[in-house]
Amino acid sequence: MKFRLGLGSVVVTLLLSAAGPPALAQNAADTAVEAAKKFSGTTLNLLWQAGLQANDPLVFSGPLFEELTGVKINVVEVPLTEMFSKILIEHRARTGSFDVMPATPAWLPDLIEAGALEPLDDFVDQFGYREEFADIAPVYRVMGEYKGQIYAFQDDGDVLINYYRKDLFADESNKSEFKAKFGYDLAPPTTWEQFSQISQFFTEKFAPDLYGSARINAPGLVHYVFQERFRNDGGKFFDADAMKAQINDDVGVATLQAMIDEHRFMPPGVEAWGPIEVLSAWMAGDLAMMGWWPPPGRWSAGYGTEVEALAWLPKSTVAGKVGYALPPGGAPELAAGFVLGVSSSSKNKELAYLFIQWMNSKDISLQRTMLPFALRDPFRTSHFRSDEYKALWPAAPEYLETLEAAANAGLADLSIRSTAAYEDALTRAISAAFGGTGVKEALDTAAGEWDALTKQIGLETQKSSYLEWASKSNAYPR
Amino acid sequence: MSVPRATAAVSEQWVGGPFGDSRFKYFLIAPALFIMLSIALFPLINLLVVSFQGISIIAENKSFHGILNYQRLAGDSRMWKSLLHTVGLLLVALPIELIFGMAMALLFVDKMRGRQIFVALLVLPMVIAPIVAGATWRLMFDNQFGPINQIIGWFAGRDVTIVWLADSSFVWPAILATEVWHSTPFMFIILLAGLAGVDRSQIESAQIDGASAARIFFKIILPAIRPVLAVAILIRALDLFRIFDIIWALTRGGPGTVTETISTFTFVKAFEQFDTSFAAAVAITVVLILTAVTIYALRRIEIAR
Repeated sequence: MKFRLGLGSVVVTLLLSAAGPPALAQNAADTAVEAAKKFSGTTLNLLWQAGLQANDPLVFSGPLFEELTGVKINVVEVPLTEMFSKILIEHRARTGSFDVMPATPAWLPDLIEAGALEPLDDFVDQFGYREEFADIAPVYRVMGEYKGQIYAFQDDGDVLINYYRKDLFADESNKSEFKAKFGYDLAPPTTWEQFSQISQFFTEKFAPDLYGSARINAPGLVHYVFQERFRNDGGKFFDADAMKAQINDDVGVATLQAMIDEHRFMPPGVEAWGPIEVLSAWMAGDLAMMGWWPPPGRWSAGYGTEVEALAWLPKSTVAGKVGYALPPGGAPELAAGFVLGVSSSSKNKELAYLFIQWMNSKDISLQRTMLPFALRDPFRTSHFRSDEYKALWPAAPEYLETLEAAANAGLADLSIRSTAAYEDALTRAISAAFGGTGVKEALDTAAGEWDALTKQIGLETQKSSYLEWASKSNAYPR
Repeated sequence: MSVPRATAAVSEQWVGGPFGDSRFKYFLIAPALFIMLSIALFPLINLLVVSFQGISIIAENKSFHGILNYQRLAGDSRMWKSLLHTVGLLLVALPIELIFGMAMALLFVDKMRGRQIFVALLVLPMVIAPIVAGATWRLMFDNQFGPINQIIGWFAGRDVTIVWLADSSFVWPAILATEVWHSTPFMFIILLAGLAGVDRSQIESAQIDGASAARIFFKIILPAIRPVLAVAILIRALDLFRIFDIIWALTRGGPGTVTETISTFTFVKAFEQFDTSFAAAVAITVVLILTAVTIYALRRIEIAR
């Protein structure tokens, strides 16, 4: 197959690396492989996000695990927007169709309370995974925990970081003109006011050839930006006593109004831009800054983009010019990073666990996060400090340093009962405000819907769920 | 008249045997009836039952909840707004599709060179799946790369950046354009078939008598195609009432809930938020509304007799 051959060189290198001589002391990956060998001939069914993400189990980890253990990995690809529904529907129908499934942390309270995910603590102890589990960056480690139990392993270091053009920020004329206009040095912004002013500066100077920044405004994703900024500005989603929504308070209104005001310094039509539009503009050199997940840090440096799976990606015109920084406020959104869990209706729970321990282990997960085409991002302390990773492109050490800083300060997505409904209401409010509805009116509507949802779910039930989430160190800025 | 012995035996077997005449007809329709019940009635009954339960993402509560979901529905302004949007779209789109479809049918009812090719081309949008049509028009309306802004820009003499699908002022015209483009061919083809059946001699007689084109249309053509017209309107009205794919592909009901229709609302509640029993109550309400409207319409157009 042409596609597979296109990925060949990368995959063969990683396979050789991952399947090389066994380590002297048995690590978590080896333990899992040894224990899984008794299941040789069995097939494990994986639910996985369709598209680039699925290349990991399809091309790399699936074939490698089969080679090592004789266990066949069957990957069922499902679009991200349908994954939650699929998992819950299959669970309620008791089909047992999937053994292993990734989930976003926001889905966990519903999936766990529905009994769809198997608790993993006993397996973790049985197969000696505590030590390597502890290597997962603390902010990510707690993502898969619920009411004191481990239900899933964080498997992806998704975080929204700020990318900026080092060449533009270092340009002497830009620096002097900016300082003359705003009275401080041109540098990656640490406040949203600075972000807006820097964006204004570049747009006024270079548009339409270059704009100061762009933002992912697509419904379903823009709420992550709001969640991050709202909390960095001091906002709290709920009054924890009465469980009354507070997204429409002064902080919420100011946050959303600022997001709208910034559109003036972004490319025309940015109100409707999704991740691909922002990424394309960035790769084409049309933006001075952008907020995105980690992959463009690799792609805009030109790492791995020659593989055929990434042929759709615009060629980078900014290689060697990209700087990485925490977003303004300093506490970035850990937006939707996947965790890996075992289906409670799996007929092969032990094997399913062994597979995710192996995938999530230090050695294998490092290989997976270095795959240029699988969208898995560093999430372990050992990933951030890996010499192997740092050698991938010249600015990789700076990139990993930023990701580690982001992981240490990151904010988890709101994850309570029926999160999807709360996110939906918030997303609609934001898009309505982008579309012309008054900011206060839009947020009042969303807050009303949040309160109605809370009432419908049950005040105490939701309060308990919220307090469980809010008690985590990554719920609000520290 | 004597009945041959063999035939008489067969008749006796069917009339008086285990498959007597009255039972045999049921035997014949049983498979069809079973399929109909399986795919229509049983799910409907199940839907009705679920609408009185408390199944949601929180719990699979199958106990009887009375009319709780219907009470919630009555007070849900988002649901009523989505219903209003649906009816509004129906009231605007249907006449436009009817007028365009009729105009095209009148144009092509007479034989002309290349008629078959033109008709085939005009019908093409109808054969495209609505979700594909929506996705395609989404690209057409793209504010960066879409041709629509570019064409407007040529006329305006400057770059135009209308954010069609994210601006409340432009999103409905965009949906309307897509819907009319996709569904007018249906109206066209049905009306063309209707017009082909109109008695030409009546039209020629009226022309000889000096009747105007408008008079011929309203007094001869329209009454002649009335049953066909009524069926076309009814089918399109029902289609528009349950419109989903095009809206979903274009806007997913946004910005906000500006373009949310009753179908997209029900989908979100049922399959994204797992508010299952509430969504069932909405669906039952829609079924009741549609049934009432359909019965009324069928009586009006007198084809149910």
